[in-house]
Amino acid sequence: MSTSVTTFVPESHADSHHEGHHQKQNFFFTYIWSVDHKMIGLQYLWTSFAFLLLGGLLAMGIRYQLAYPGVEVPLIGRLLPSTIATDGIILPGGYNMFFTMHATVMVFLVVMPLLIGGFGNYLIPLKIGAGDMAFPTLNAMSYWLYVVSGIIIVASFFVPGGAAAGGWTAYAPLSSTAAYNQTQLGQSLWCVGLFINGLSSIAGATNYITTIINMRAPGMTMFRLPLSVWALFITAWLLLLAVPVLSAAAAMLTTDLNFGTTFFAAQGGQPLLWQHLFWFFGHPEVYIMILPAMGLVSEILPVFARKPIFGYKAMVWAMVAIGFLGFIVWGHHMFVSGMNLTLAAAFSVSTMIIAVPSAIKTFNWMGTVWRGSIEFTTPMLFALAFVSMFVIGGLSGIFMASTPVDLFVHNSYFIVAHIHYVLFGGSLFGAFAAIYFWYPKMFGRMMNDTLGKIHFFATFIFFNLTFFPMHNLGLGGMMRRIADPTVYDHLRALQPINVFVSWAAFGMGLSTFIFLWNFIWSLRHGKPAGKNPWHSTTLEWTVPSPPGHGNFETTPTVYNGPYEYSVPGMDKDFLPQDEKAPEGARLEVH
Amino acid sequence: MNMNKTLTKIFWLSVLLVAACATDALAGVRDSNLYWAPECVTVGGKRIDSLLNFIFYLTGAVFFLTQIVYIYYLVKYRKRPGSKAYYSHGNNKLELIWTAIPTAIFIGLVIYSNRLWSELHSEPPADAVKVDIVGYQFGWDMRYPGADGKLGKVDTKLYSTENKFAIVPDDASGSDDFSSTELVIPVGKPVHIYLHSRDVIHSFYVPEFRLYQAAVPGRTIAWVWFETTKTGNFQLACSQICGSGHYNMKAPIRVVTQEEFDKWQAGKIAAKAAETQSAAAPSDPVLVAQRNKGEQ
Amino acid sequence: MSTAALAAHETPHAPPRTAIFGMTIFLASEAMLFAGLIGGYIVLRLSSPAWPPSPQYPKLPILLTGINTVFLITSSFTYHFAEAAVKKGKKGLFWLFVTVLLGATFLVIQGFEWSHLHHEGLWFNKGGVYGSSFFVLTGFHGAHVAIGVLMILIAFLRQLGGAYTAQNHTYLILAGMYWHFVDVVWVFLYSVLYLI
Ligand code: HEA
Ligand code: HEA
Ligand code: CUA
Ligand SMILES: [Cu+2]
Repeated sequence: MSTSVTTFVPESHADSHHEGHHQKQNFFFTYIWSVDHKMIGLQYLWTSFAFLLLGGLLAMGIRYQLAYPGVEVPLIGRLLPSTIATDGIILPGGYNMFFTMHATVMVFLVVMPLLIGGFGNYLIPLKIGAGDMAFPTLNAMSYWLYVVSGIIIVASFFVPGGAAAGGWTAYAPLSSTAAYNQTQLGQSLWCVGLFINGLSSIAGATNYITTIINMRAPGMTMFRLPLSVWALFITAWLLLLAVPVLSAAAAMLTTDLNFGTTFFAAQGGQPLLWQHLFWFFGHPEVYIMILPAMGLVSEILPVFARKPIFGYKAMVWAMVAIGFLGFIVWGHHMFVSGMNLTLAAAFSVSTMIIAVPSAIKTFNWMGTVWRGSIEFTTPMLFALAFVSMFVIGGLSGIFMASTPVDLFVHNSYFIVAHIHYVLFGGSLFGAFAAIYFWYPKMFGRMMNDTLGKIHFFATFIFFNLTFFPMHNLGLGGMMRRIADPTVYDHLRALQPINVFVSWAAFGMGLSTFIFLWNFIWSLRHGKPAGKNPWHSTTLEWTVPSPPGHGNFETTPTVYNGPYEYSVPGMDKDFLPQDEKAPEGARLEVH
Repeated sequence: MNMNKTLTKIFWLSVLLVAACATDALAGVRDSNLYWAPECVTVGGKRIDSLLNFIFYLTGAVFFLTQIVYIYYLVKYRKRPGSKAYYSHGNNKLELIWTAIPTAIFIGLVIYSNRLWSELHSEPPADAVKVDIVGYQFGWDMRYPGADGKLGKVDTKLYSTENKFAIVPDDASGSDDFSSTELVIPVGKPVHIYLHSRDVIHSFYVPEFRLYQAAVPGRTIAWVWFETTKTGNFQLACSQICGSGHYNMKAPIRVVTQEEFDKWQAGKIAAKAAETQSAAAPSDPVLVAQRNKGEQ
Repeated sequence: MSTAALAAHETPHAPPRTAIFGMTIFLASEAMLFAGLIGGYIVLRLSSPAWPPSPQYPKLPILLTGINTVFLITSSFTYHFAEAAVKKGKKGLFWLFVTVLLGATFLVIQGFEWSHLHHEGLWFNKGGVYGSSFFVLTGFHGAHVAIGVLMILIAFLRQLGGAYTAQNHTYLILAGMYWHFVDVVWVFLYSVLYLI
């Protein structure tokens, strides 16, 4: 295997006016316009937490309305803008804003920034043995573009007409015609927000790919990269190639809304063109949200099973396959949209095929715990649950991938169940696992394990109680995106389930506070962590917690793959990547 | 940390998962099938149900097999004093097996699915009852052919408050078409629907029919047909977000016997003829449409 | 070598090879942006019964824009000459200036064309998808050209003070990659919008 490795050779700086900054380390350069990848990662983390609370609050609003349509929202009802509620009672249009913005916030301002912005920034340079990202300034810019996009999207709640209300998929011509949506300004801000968010993603993706290709430490070959880095690498490619298509579509939507162009109009334009462009981005997008979580979980399982990951290369190739196939399955969102029926059948084939790499990954995770020595720490519990929840979400995907079944379940709560099993049970469970796991590295202290476990069990139970019954609601004929199910005869009978689901959702919302409390409390009071509290092999655990500016005292040299646990013939049960295998260690060559 | 405690917890969790499903018993009203879906009343819908059942059992089996093995591993290979993990990087033969088997299953499933798909979308029988269904923000209009049994041609550019159905003015077969705000169809007979929209995308969704199809403005969706098996009252729902009134965009559906349908139809045709004769010219779709055209 | 030493500079500049790699990656993304726009345009055009949809709309000026295209392509060459000059240790100011001039000329002629078509009754909201796609696509491209001209103008101004040497001119290489990319996109746009 070739070791094409370039370390970061600094340019000789003729101008020395930079020198002053790192001496002073003033507040502005440390916390605001920081170019240190770790600080930027933490900025992403904190900001996405704030948006998680907002997205979660909107979800609570959704659940309140569905359980008690037409009943005044307690406490905050009367504070809501008049576009959303009158006399504290949520309006149907306001409900539409709720779920549209709930999804927009969760997808673009929580999951992506948390997993990719937060963990990507924090971990990539540390894990490949680099001092920082390839383009630190671009990195800082990427974060601030994200903040700006978030502000614009949230601000749209308060403009005349209110926020976008056509669903996060913004189907035209509803979204593209002011007379139909009555939220011209809100919808335009939504487009502008996503455009800027896209710039942030593209800047980040460029940085990640360049960094991973060019800045690996000596000995860190591509097939010695930890799987989380592989996952982020492939994710970055998906971002790079899918996001600009959304940007193009959002630009066209903006001009349709404001300048009278007719790209997506019924007469002259093509309403379905929007859907094709959106889903060409949208499907890769869902893998953008799951791949990093898969990568992070693949890191955590071996550590607490004390076993190498099962089938490293199969894992890598499965992700590569997901990356490629992800671009040719978008039509499965459009089986019943009026698209050509034969084309629909073809998309059904590609969709079933793309489930294969996910199957491979699932079996390899099971193979990893097989014959391990499993320790059930909080991060491990979340990682283990991730696998199960992803399987449930993936299997419900198979129902919808079957064209005739989609004829029945399309746009029903069955879809909503699927979404949340893969996105909450998948992406967010992965994120929680990662937070508990890397917290000691980030802050130098452990999170409280008991509180962590309480958080895990509460979330796990309430999560399933919330979202599992949604499968039945969907098959029971409940449409998604309806403000008041009780207007339908056949849904009135299902209303008790809606009430049940809502209370479970409130429970899930509350359990998040256990997490936040633990997170904040442990900053000061957690057990000091030391360099390597989990006895892990990858490079970030060879430096102090938290790592200093510039990461490594000396550029590490890598001798081993990332998952050498329980190697026979060794005293320690793990072999760090930068340690030569001791005499007598029987490493498996693969 | 006490391992037994953790294990007990895991056990209770599995129990809870099952309990989550059981909460659906709250609904208590739907016992015709596993999932409390409303009773299916179309021929095609029953085919979909059997495919749905097939996938349910398939994925159910996959779920329980994988989860049982998984939980068994978690219990069996939990950390115990002196336990040591087995050092292994994987097994290529296994990789091959668990790639090939799902692939084979998926290929089989997609063949089964797409066959049914094309069957459901086969040419509608010529003798089918034809209905033009038009969605708008926020309601539905239905149009049935008059005595000639033919629906007047549609040009989607022509939708206007006078020409609710966008009938092409020089198509005489459109002049006797009658309209309705409820969908009335004879049981046991194929029904061929044409879907249109006047403004944004709406959708025709009837869970009892196991049928969803979007109505796209500017286009005619002409491939949907079905055959009911049972009389009864249902509701047509719009299941595509279409604005603030989306949640309430519904229309009654009555599936009636052939005799009842004939009677209803004859009444409607007669009413329409009377209306045309009383020479309230502006409400004649042909004239209105022509006048509209003149104005443009 | 210590990675900490590197980060001592608050914003260390990536070495040229890395920067060029990054630019290539970024341009792949830009290509997808235009692929989205052009793909959408092609779909709309193929589903339109006639093009232009109605004879009342003006045709696009093939000849004038053809000449303009020649200007833009020439500017790619002049930029190349500038780079070659710098590599040889010369300043390359003349060629940089010519490039800026050509780029600006392109923009001016495009602007003239916009206003001309506007008078003839074609605009964002006039002429259906014909007008929509023409103005949005050329608008997007024009914005890219403007950014490119700005980048080269900056290079020119910096080079007045002799900022780039034969060994050290990464910025020139990056701006050049961007500029050539914008030209290539234009060749595509000109073909699909004007010629076919
Ligand atoms: C993280 C996000 C994520 C992920 C990973 C997936 C994964 C999958 N999704 Fe999902 N999907 C969404 C997020 C995601 N989806 C969202 C957000 C929507 C809704 C958008 C909207 O309309 O708002 C959606 C909608 C959606 C639709 C459209 C439905 C409709 O609107 O009518 C379809 C249809 O095919 C689909 C299919 C699939 C499939 C087949 C997979 C597969 O990749 C899953 C593969 C995994 C497995 C199958 C499980 C593990 C495998 C085994 C244990 C092996 C053995 C299995 C068998 C032999 C059966 N998804
Ligand atoms: C990553 C993505 C993500 C996440 C994490 C979530 C999380 C949640 N979602 Fe969301 N959802 C989507 C993505 C996501 N969702 C998408 C893409 C759609 C489709 C939208 C569309 O149709 O356009 C959707 C739609 C959607 C619907 C359907 C709306 C409709 O179609 O009408 C519902 C309904 O129940 C719902 C509920 C919830 C709930 C209860 C949570 C909970 O898990 C949230 C838990 C809350 C927190 C973790 C935050 C902390 C809690 C608080 C700050 C509140 C505390 C206050 C009280 C307890 C009162 N979501
Ligand atoms: Cu019409 Cu929803
Ligand atoms: Cu998809």
